[in-house]
Parts: sequence; C-alpha cells; structure tokens
Amino acid sequence: MSEHSQKSKRSTLWYAFLILLMVAGAVAVFIRAKEGLIVTNLTSTAPWGTWVAFYIYFVGMSAGAFLLSTLIYVFGMEQYEKIGKDALLVAILSMVLAMAFILVDLGHMERFWHTLWYMNWTSVLAYEVRFYVLYIVLLFSELYFAMRIHLIKASSLNDWKGKIAKFLSFGSKDTSERSIQHDHKVLKILGTIGLPVAIFGVHGGTGALFAVAKARPFLNSALFPVIFVVSALVSGTALLIAFYVIRNKVSGNPVDQKMVKSLAGLLALFLFIDVGLEFYEFLIGAYGLEHEELATITTMIKSDFSWSFWVVQMFIGVVVPLFLIFARKTKESVNAIAAAAIMVVIGILGVRFNIVLPALIVPVMTGLPEGYYYPTWIEILSSSGIIAMGLFLYTLAVTVLPIHTESSQVSSNHLTFDHRTTGRSEETI
Amino acid sequence: MKTANAAEQTGDKKKTPRWAMVIDLKKCIGCDTCTVSCKAENRTPPGVTYNVVIQNEIGTYPNVALVNLPRPCMQCDRPACAQVCPVKATYKMENGITAIDYDRCIGCRYCVVACPYGARYVDFGEDYSQEMLAANEIQSPEYGVDRGKREKGKSPINNVRKCTFCLHRLERGEEPACVETCVGDARFFGDLSDPDSVVSKLAASPRAFRLKEELNTGPRVIYLK
Repeated sequence: MSEHSQKSKRSTLWYAFLILLMVAGAVAVFIRAKEGLIVTNLTSTAPWGTWVAFYIYFVGMSAGAFLLSTLIYVFGMEQYEKIGKDALLVAILSMVLAMAFILVDLGHMERFWHTLWYMNWTSVLAYEVRFYVLYIVLLFSELYFAMRIHLIKASSLNDWKGKIAKFLSFGSKDTSERSIQHDHKVLKILGTIGLPVAIFGVHGGTGALFAVAKARPFLNSALFPVIFVVSALVSGTALLIAFYVIRNKVSGNPVDQKMVKSLAGLLALFLFIDVGLEFYEFLIGAYGLEHEELATITTMIKSDFSWSFWVVQMFIGVVVPLFLIFARKTKESVNAIAAAAIMVVIGILGVRFNIVLPALIVPVMTGLPEGYYYPTWIEILSSSGIIAMGLFLYTLAVTVLPIHTESSQVSSNHLTFDHRTTGRSEETI
Repeated sequence: MKTANAAEQTGDKKKTPRWAMVIDLKKCIGCDTCTVSCKAENRTPPGVTYNVVIQNEIGTYPNVALVNLPRPCMQCDRPACAQVCPVKATYKMENGITAIDYDRCIGCRYCVVACPYGARYVDFGEDYSQEMLAANEIQSPEYGVDRGKREKGKSPINNVRKCTFCLHRLERGEEPACVETCVGDARFFGDLSDPDSVVSKLAASPRAFRLKEELNTGPRVIYLK
C-alpha cells in the first residue's frame, strides 16, 4: 500500500471514530434536552458535576493556549512561532467546547440568551459570560490576522481549499511587506488586550466564580483564581505540545525537538508552580481547622473519590510527566515528552473535577445529607461526544485552513524570524 | 438590621411589612409536621423540601442530646444566592422575601452552590404520580402565579426552588403553613419592621441567634436558643 493511501485510510478511520462518538453524544444530548436534568446523577446537594468540570477544563485549556500564543505574538518569542496559529485555534475550539458543555448543563437550555440579556451587577458569572463573548471575538480576530497572509497565498490554489481560503481572507489581497508588518502590529495589540481579558476576565474570573462561594470554605480562597490561571497554563501548554508532536508524526513532517524540549521546560515550570500553590491552598485551609474545610480535604485525599486525586491528578498529572521530562533516558525523546504532555492533559481533568466536586460532597450544614456523585451514561456519552466534536473541528480546521504553515514558509513571511530557522535542530521520524 | 428597621419606620404609613420568622428551639419537638405541611401546601416534588428538620446528636455518652434544627429558607437580607445569580432570577423583594422568577431562571444552579444553608433545591422533574391521584393536576400558586398543571420541560421543572415564606398565603392574610401547623407552637411569624410585633420582641431576646451570622448574610429567620 502506498504511503498516501495509508494516510488517507488512517484519516478516514479517525473521522469515522469521531463521528461515531459525536452521534452517540448527539443522542445523549437529545435525551437530556427531552427529559431534563433527571438523566444526570446530579442532586440538590451536589448540583454540579461532569459538565461543569469539563466546562472549566476547557475554559482553562483555552486561556492556557491563548497565553502561550501571546508569548509569540506579544512577547516576540519566535522560537515558538510554529505553534502560534495552532494555539489560537485550540483557544477558540476550547471555548466552543466550554460553551457547549455549560449549555448542556443548563436546566433551561432554551434560555441561554438570558445570560446576555439580563444583568446582575454582583454576579461573577454574569461578567464571565460577557468576558467569554469578548474573548471569543478577540480570538477569532487574532486568528484571522495570524492567517491572513497564508490565506491569501492559499487562495491562489484552484481547489476547494483555495476557495475557502479566498472566502476567509475577506477580500484582503495585500501581501506586501507593509501589510505583514501591519498584521504583526495588530496581533500584538489584540494579544495585549487579550492578556488581561484571558488572565483576569476569562480564567481568573472562572476561578473567582468558585472562590466567591463563601458557603464552601474550601473554594472560598483568594488563591483559587491564581491556581486556575496557572493550571490553565499547564493544560494549555501540555495540549499544544501533544498536538504539535502528534500532528507532525502523523503527517510525517519533522518535529522540532528543540522547541518541544523548551516547551516541556515551560510545562514543568508551570506544573511546579501549580503544585506549590495547591500545597499552600491545602496548608492554609487545613491550618484553620474549620470543619467543612477539613472535611473537603479529607474527601479529596482519603475517601471513595480520592483515586481521582492520587491517581489522576497527582500520579498521572504530575509525578510521571515530571519524571519523563527530567529523566536522562527520556528527556531527549519527543515521544516521551508528548506522552508526558498527554498525561498532564488527563491529569488536569482530575484537577478540574476536584475543584467542582469535593466541596459539593460535604454538606453545608452538619446533619444535611452528604453528596455523592458519579456521572450517568448520558453525561459520559454527551461529554465524549462534545470532545469528539472538538477534535473533529480541529482536524477539519488544520486540514482546510493554513494553520500549520511549516517553518520555511513561515520564515519567508516573517523576515525577523529568518535567522532562527538555520540554527534549529530538527528531528525526523 | 437596626438601621434597616429605622429606615423602614420612617417610610409612609402604608409601608410593606418586612417578614421574619422566629423559631424557638426549646419548643421544637422534632415531629417534622412543618416539613410535611410544607410539602402539602407547596406541593413540592420528591427531592424538593423547602423545610427540613435537621437532627444532630451532640455530646458523648452518657451526656448526649438530640438537637432539632428546623431549616426553612433564611430569606437573608444580603442573600448569597441573589448575589451570584447571573440573570437576577433570584432577587430580594421589598417585603424581605428572597424570590425566584421561574421564568427567568436558566437553571445554572450557581445559587445552590452559593447558599450557606442548603436551602435551595433543584426540581429534577420527579413527581408523586405513582403514589397520589392527580398529583400533577395542580401546582401551588407560588409567588402568586398560577402555573396550572405540572408538565415536563416547563418551569418550575429544571429550575431551582426554595421556601417562599408561603408568600401566596401571606397575600391572603394567612401565616406560612409551617407556622400554622407547628404542634409545639415553636414558630412565630410577623413584621420585623414593626417594633411591637411578636417577632420583633422575640428577636431582641438574649436567646435569639441566627445561623452562620459570621457570613453576614443577615437571615430573617431567627432562632431562640
């Protein structure tokens, strides 16, 4: 079998797999819409579950990916240029998934527009929704300016991709050096506006949404929004490493080992800070000897649910990845680093579940029933369906759009980056 | 609270009452009549219980006691639930009651997480139709709104619900169901802005306290030790 047909067979299989999950998810969402929240295992004691955990997971993923993109477009760290547009795309799609998750979670989905129509000036969530909108608009405009020159180039092609590119370039035909400089400037401005929006608005704000709940002493900590932002950086960086390596391995392109190693360094740094902050969160929380606080921590580390903390969050999410990134045998291998990144992506999922659930397991008043929650099949299938939709859209986008313009192409457009290409060590499979 | 009362009193003569409830824990025998009458009055579905009596065993043997704590919604003056509601579906009424607009509520359940008293419940749509004839034929006219039959997908199903101080009863001059049916006469109801009302006098008692006062939510349910 030729390499080409093998590749197309693989991509057909991949699409089929995703479509299967999406169909199952669509059925689950349909049942949920028809039957209401009863199809979940949520209760009045633990009213938030899988969907909310995935919602903050993807908001975090988005903020992390976006912040990584600002390293390139705002702070000029050209060494990461290869993942710039990818980061923006991941940021957009993660937001789409986050919104899909929170929509499915609403008791009255048909009233989602109320969140924009009505305003409660004291509600963190009310501001959040508006920040999300602003942020998504910002991301789309950034991606446009990051892709513009490549879209114009691609629109000269005569196939359907060219037509899409032509449409998406919105009539822009200017490929002059000045227009490229202009793009860079716009990207820098948008990224600069986006920084506080992403840090304090979108993700810090989502952390604040939980932190303001004074009824839940464990959540009610000013460190929470900070941990949210740091863990966003962790998950965003990890996902981009994983996507970058997998994508190039699948398409048979060279992997920039130096960049991957450097990103892995960043990932390790973020992970250390994240774990350190989490430690303080536990220490200061436990030190107060407050009943609910202690009960929540106990729920996390020593209960039927604690596997999600020890196995998912700590072992898969922290210990093994750090080992892979630092061990002499594995630190040079992009495969090992990619594996570490994937594990971190899974580990952060544990972090998100452990933000949402333990505080809801402990009753707010002694004597009220304790919470207990595991997702139903409807919740699981709808979640996997929504995630499959994200992967589907990602695969589609990177196939159709000029997201992965390889280094030579990129550097020809970015004069300032030219000298870098020569010094790069590239690993091929 | 005191300043709020003073402000209330300077208003015009026909001012709205500011409702409050006093529960004498010494008189509560833990019979759960309030819970049952509340369910009957408000026709709340399974899993939605506006009033519960929390029972806790305190002390170590042989010095033990069973403590009853009836828990309706506290109708806080600075309610955490209304603070977090993204669409202002939960809001403070002039008469002191924290209300929910079922038609505006999107069912995000943020208020359930925010309530320090566990007083809020999600209506998951269950009903008593298997145990009771015509269980879904009529709903309680909560907040004075007649919603007709209880039907899948229609509010208040998939909304958050809670005790309303039986607002619909207050409007026709009756006390809340739990107050009326309490066998030990442990509950008192009245206008806290009227200094001569029973609740005002009891609220001034040295036995009076409110739940989780440190959170500064200002509950309008006052307990007597």
